[in-house]
Amino acid sequence: MLRRIGMALLLGVALLVVFAPAASAHGERAQEAFLKMRTVGWVNVEFSGGTVRVGESGADEIFIKQGEEIQLTGITTLLAAWPGTLSGGDPSTGFINVIAPGPVVLVREKTINGVSAPHRIEIEKGGLYQFDMTVAGRTVGRWHIHPSFSVKGAGTLLGPGQWVNVEAAEGYTNPVQLLNGETINLENYQLTYVWIFSTLTFIIGVGWMLHWTLLHRTVQNLAVTSQIPLNTDGMRYGLISRKDHRISNVFLIITALLVGVYFVYQLVEYPDKLPQQVVEFAPPPLELPVTAEVQGLGSFYDADTDTVSLEASVTNTGTSDIEVAQFTTSTLTFVNPDLAEPTLEQASLTLDPSGPIAPGQTATLSLTLPDERWTLDKLIPTAESQLEIVGLLVFDNGGFAEVHAPLKTEEF
Amino acid sequence: MADTTKEAELRQLLHKHYKYIDYKWNVVFWVTAIFVVGAAGDITKLLFAGDWDFWTDWKDRQWWPIITPFAIIIIGSALQYIQWLAWRFPTGMVYTACAMWVFATFGRWVQWGAFLDYPLNFVWPMTMVAAAVFIDWILLKTKSFVLTSVIGGMVFTIVWWMSNYVMIAPFLQPALWMDRIVTVADVQGIEYIRSQTPEYLRIVEHGSLRTFLGETTYVALAFGGVLSIAGYWIGQFIARALAIWPIGRFMQKW
Repeated sequence: MLRRIGMALLLGVALLVVFAPAASAHGERAQEAFLKMRTVGWVNVEFSGGTVRVGESGADEIFIKQGEEIQLTGITTLLAAWPGTLSGGDPSTGFINVIAPGPVVLVREKTINGVSAPHRIEIEKGGLYQFDMTVAGRTVGRWHIHPSFSVKGAGTLLGPGQWVNVEAAEGYTNPVQLLNGETINLENYQLTYVWIFSTLTFIIGVGWMLHWTLLHRTVQNLAVTSQIPLNTDGMRYGLISRKDHRISNVFLIITALLVGVYFVYQLVEYPDKLPQQVVEFAPPPLELPVTAEVQGLGSFYDADTDTVSLEASVTNTGTSDIEVAQFTTSTLTFVNPDLAEPTLEQASLTLDPSGPIAPGQTATLSLTLPDERWTLDKLIPTAESQLEIVGLLVFDNGGFAEVHAPLKTEEF
Repeated sequence: MADTTKEAELRQLLHKHYKYIDYKWNVVFWVTAIFVVGAAGDITKLLFAGDWDFWTDWKDRQWWPIITPFAIIIIGSALQYIQWLAWRFPTGMVYTACAMWVFATFGRWVQWGAFLDYPLNFVWPMTMVAAAVFIDWILLKTKSFVLTSVIGGMVFTIVWWMSNYVMIAPFLQPALWMDRIVTVADVQGIEYIRSQTPEYLRIVEHGSLRTFLGETTYVALAFGGVLSIAGYWIGQFIARALAIWPIGRFMQKW
């Protein structure tokens, strides 16, 4: 019977291990639609660098060696539709970064609106944040990488992703230059030093335990200790001897010496130290010309074809013709195929009527946005309290405008 | 006369040969308890001070020495009471420290290193063994839990800080990186991506304690020492009220 149970358990674990798929997502399907669509918008997100060739998906993917760098660029913004329930409706602290399945890539450089921004930034609703991040390959494998915008009180929100393949490079290191000019390899810098000290303390502890447990009886002592007061060491009865005291003193001295010597060593070896830094500032404002006023008229989700049809009134408030180049929301980007070819991570939109809008002209546009990820990524808010599609209409001159349109559907 | 007789009885009892309670029971206890004590100690530490223990860029001079000694002294204090009460061994804190060391090291190596591929010089765990030797020694000398809590709590915090500062020191060196002067630990914290842990969640010194002339470390250690005394008595409560007292009740009924 026991053997059967054991075999069943073993089989269960084996099945779990063998058939469990590798986790390469970042929670994009776990978040609610309103959290993804009504918070942060992404424009012109591009991955550049590396070698582009056909990958495991059958389409173009990026290939880099360990240590080789690629760049993520684009603009992200806090939407006017930001829900009042998140960050009290007034987001103030954010962190723009890269999301990947762990430290598979290294963040080497990061600027927000042209200023170096390794840490948190002060943000505001409607603010525009142009990011430029340099990322280097680290762990060999195929990884899905996104830019991310974490907002205090709301969590981490993802932008459009890209498959990046990291290939092995001989002699890979992660060099960082200290202020004193020394270059260190961050992959293993002072790891041996840390382990040696930590292990030495452990050895002293084991020695202490061996002294007390090998030279004394343990559970048998209870017969005596249960009959004597707590505040005595039992020396009168032989529980603890003067020799025990002497040996304990020696252990204490060795411990003090070890800590003292290492403490002096670090003072000598690393004389220049500073506390961990917290870089926090408000990025300089990014001004983009207002291109258009957009009014969302309505949208419809067809579950059979995974398609959203969106109708919007667009008024060209600029001085030259504009044409819709993209519609973006959360991790989805729909590209006008008349202007550019969609990449692997993008889909095509259909625009009716197509063509440019003249300055001062108002046009009612119908956008057809087919993508199975509407459903897969749970972007249709049929189970939520605000049935609305929110995103950014991006124009061919680089300008963009927020659009939110009430959603109708027959699928609940 | 009665005292001498009692003393002789207890001396004899100490060396009495038990037919069924031999050294194997000692081995069974010490070995099996490692798992319970190590897990309890490590979990308590991770619940209260997890991120400070995980990442070098969290190991700051203000919050790390306040939170962590409090978190790690609790289970050690409980074990100190139990092992002193039952066997008159000043070993509870060192035993907990060694068990936690094994668990934390194994955890970092397997979970953070092998599974997630974080460099171990970014995620090494603290050690409390040196501090534990001091506080067990204080119990041995004072034979008093009150004195051990007051003197030991403060000494424990200071020795813990010194022994762990030794390890963080190289990571506090300045580097010019992203056009700013930051510590090596800061570089690790940004370069090695922590998914779903934005930097603004990092609770480290922000500004300085100007009232105390900027002597952040000393203030933090003093406050950490006081918190450790509180943590010590939480551990004593756990041992006395949740472990020993129920066992005593059970034994009486049995």
